[in-house]
Amino acid sequence: MANFELLVNGERRAVDVAPDTPLLWVLRDAIGLVGTKFGCGQALCGACTVHVDGRARRSCTLPVSQLGTAAVTTIEGLSRDGSHPVQRAWVEIDVPQCGWCQAGQIMSTAALLAERPDPTDAEIGTALNGNLCRCGTYTRIRRAVQRAAELTRADGRAR
Amino acid sequence: MTVRLSRQQVLHATRAGWYLFEPPAAIAAALPLTRRTFLRVSAAGSGGLLVLVATRDLVSASAGAVADAPFQPHALIRIDVDDAVTIWASNPDMGEGTKTSLPMLVAEELDADWTRVRLENAPLDRRYGGQGVGGSDAIASAWLHHRQAGAVGRHLLVAAAAAQWGVAADVCSTSRGVVRHDASGRTATYGSLAARAAELTPPASAALKDASRFTLIGTRVPGRDVAAIVRGLPLFGLDVRKPGMQYAAVAKSPVFARRAVRVDATRAMAVPGVARVVEIAGLPNPTHLIPGVAVVADSTWTALKARDLLDIEWEPSPFADESTASLRAQAAERLSAPPEVLHNSGNVDTALASARHVVDATYECAFVAHATLEPHNCTADVRDGECWIEGPLQMPASGRQVVAAAIGLAPEKVHVMSSRIGGGFGRRLMSDYAAEAAVVSKAMGAPVQVVDSRSGDLQHDYYRPFAVQRLRAGVDAQGRVVAWDHTLATCSRNAYRLDTRPPSSTELYGSYVGRVKTVQELDPDLVPTHIPNARLRYAALSTGVPTGAWRAPSHMAIAFAVETMLDEMAAKAGRSPVDLRLDFLGDTADVPSSAEGYTYDPARMRAVIREAAERGGIGGRAAAGRGRGFASHFTFGSYCAQVAEVSVDASKRVTVHKVTAVIDCGQPVNLLGVEAQVEGGIIDALGTAFYAEVPIARGRATVANFDTYRLIRHREAPRLVEVHVMPSRRTPTGTGEIPLPPVAPAIANAIAALTGTRLRQTPFSRDGWSLA
Repeated sequence: MANFELLVNGERRAVDVAPDTPLLWVLRDAIGLVGTKFGCGQALCGACTVHVDGRARRSCTLPVSQLGTAAVTTIEGLSRDGSHPVQRAWVEIDVPQCGWCQAGQIMSTAALLAERPDPTDAEIGTALNGNLCRCGTYTRIRRAVQRAAELTRADGRAR
Repeated sequence: MTVRLSRQQVLHATRAGWYLFEPPAAIAAALPLTRRTFLRVSAAGSGGLLVLVATRDLVSASAGAVADAPFQPHALIRIDVDDAVTIWASNPDMGEGTKTSLPMLVAEELDADWTRVRLENAPLDRRYGGQGVGGSDAIASAWLHHRQAGAVGRHLLVAAAAAQWGVAADVCSTSRGVVRHDASGRTATYGSLAARAAELTPPASAALKDASRFTLIGTRVPGRDVAAIVRGLPLFGLDVRKPGMQYAAVAKSPVFARRAVRVDATRAMAVPGVARVVEIAGLPNPTHLIPGVAVVADSTWTALKARDLLDIEWEPSPFADESTASLRAQAAERLSAPPEVLHNSGNVDTALASARHVVDATYECAFVAHATLEPHNCTADVRDGECWIEGPLQMPASGRQVVAAAIGLAPEKVHVMSSRIGGGFGRRLMSDYAAEAAVVSKAMGAPVQVVDSRSGDLQHDYYRPFAVQRLRAGVDAQGRVVAWDHTLATCSRNAYRLDTRPPSSTELYGSYVGRVKTVQELDPDLVPTHIPNARLRYAALSTGVPTGAWRAPSHMAIAFAVETMLDEMAAKAGRSPVDLRLDFLGDTADVPSSAEGYTYDPARMRAVIREAAERGGIGGRAAAGRGRGFASHFTFGSYCAQVAEVSVDASKRVTVHKVTAVIDCGQPVNLLGVEAQVEGGIIDALGTAFYAEVPIARGRATVANFDTYRLIRHREAPRLVEVHVMPSRRTPTGTGEIPLPPVAPAIANAIAALTGTRLRQTPFSRDGWSLA
């Protein structure tokens, strides 16, 4: 076991875990943030996607010891109240079925839109192709990403 | 006054954060409830005042005046004095939308204001009615029960208002949580009537609304958990956290369901954080609990890591040499002399000999895993002679029985709370993971969450059965199907679960064929009733591979063979595949019911087929380079027809441009949810048709993760899925499984239209096909 200090959703968190523990399990078991989901453990499904210094990363294969001082954002930290444009779009389009993959889909989408505010269909496909949805919500996700892009641009204009 | 709380109500009252319910010690600590304590705990829970009278009491406590009393006309409903309406979500939601659609049934008849209705998840309790979900029958089962609950509530609220105003009940109306006396314009909110209504005796039943007066049913209602899902709030089984909870991972025999004969846990126990190793004996029925060795640790990661360090020798298996190839060889042998003739009409051999065109085809469908994205998990707390189960149980009532058997408790000592379920697809009809958690928790004397890795989840599933079918069919010179000779060989689900009914009863045409007397009682969409010469035969394959129900069980394999064969017949006869089908369906409702207990009406199937054909452009010309394929199927009481439009490149990469789907599921309850099920079901079936296979070698599953067990991806999804829900006022039937069976045959028929190649096995990837 070893002590690590992480920056998660803007808060400093001290944890005592084995150094090879993936960030996913640090979040879920040590810190108690269970919004980040376990799906495959090998970065094959995207359910565990979080932002590390703003970039989408698979937390299930990211050992806590490699994190250093990086800032981690989880679905719980994307907004305080579900008001992030991607979350609003997901609600508006009624995307989730079972819902297990959706935190990962949302985190991948938020990272995409931060970099590409007006993504093409191809860019959406590329950014989300690693996020599996077992219920088959892909058509609604595609619509929701486009809607989130609209909302993001509208928010930008409002500011 | 004395207020008595039932055990379940205490559980709700003590709910805090994401601890959906608390172990007995926590309840004991909270008791006796003082008024202050009581208010505090209820505020931590649902936010409403819980002062309820129940028959099975755990505790009594003093609390406030009766004027605070809410009105609870049924276990599913509570109306508080502040006008808050709470409806209990009685059945678990695994993505099919029951959390929203079932409470809608209550709210419709209650005339509650849906935007102000709060939902609570219900623990397992018979007062809520049937609480399982499966067979696409959640809506059908709750249709009258839940509406009656709402209607009785509304009846009493109106009676209370009428008494207060000294008017007749039948001159009062209700809308959005308010009773109105139409003549005087007086109104009263439900909350203001709660105390008076609570004193009235509920009638055994109350009149239900005519469908023309529905204001909520049939509309598009967003899912009620969506706002919580997009924020990552804890809703699921794997999100359960309890004080002192430990984590466990279970090693199982790679060759299915064998016991450990030697366990060396030295290396596992050496991992820091590992508490103990617990052997699981299993139950006689392998669908209840299979043997294993659990490692219990202080985190999921430690448990999973240490589990893989166990050195275990497993008892030998008679199926240790089994493989997909050996099963195929066994099927070939059994198909040549199938033991069981289920139906034989006319003279099939003569009809085949005299038919104008005959097609003789063999179809193979691979074992398929459920691959729920939320892996196998459950949390149990077994202490002081009682067991608390919380997790993704699709069938909480049968889960209770299995858990009770596994740990030697009476079923009434097992308390079950189903969480939101991260995908079911049939996997969670079994409750083996709950039994695992209970066995380990009992050994530890502490709450335990069992979780499996993806490889464990894929390698120890109850798979969709491997199936081989031989189908010979003939058309005459007029293009009519005159002969049909269909033989099916599968690894029977019924045989695996030690059911006493015949092995064929879960396998052929999705029905309990064993109790069927005439061909008219078989699913007639599958056995064309107007084919004069028809024979159906079945052979069970001997196997050690676990099998179970997979979304639209048996319908998937059967529809693939039947619907592609009909397309082939139409092509041979130079006819439209739609006309060929309409021919033998007949015009009249001459088929009273299917073996699944649903009435089958050929007129409804005809209407769905015609609607889909027109919307999907069957008979018209597809754009250059594109082909269209048609298929239809009757599953669990609902009707679905689809047209797929595809193009294919030189490397057998298939682009699905559009799928047009028409469904008749009777009265749609939540239209938005029905559309979601059809869209998602089509995408699920598409990925499954192209990629899903669990190969068997050396008696074990040779898939490891999503690299070797391929799911459909974003870019492969159809560019467009158009869903048309037939308007209907008939009793609702299912939607969760109905859209799937037509998909593989519609795609295969489209590929055949375009290339002339007939696909006769799933997954299509076996023949080199993939999605572009």
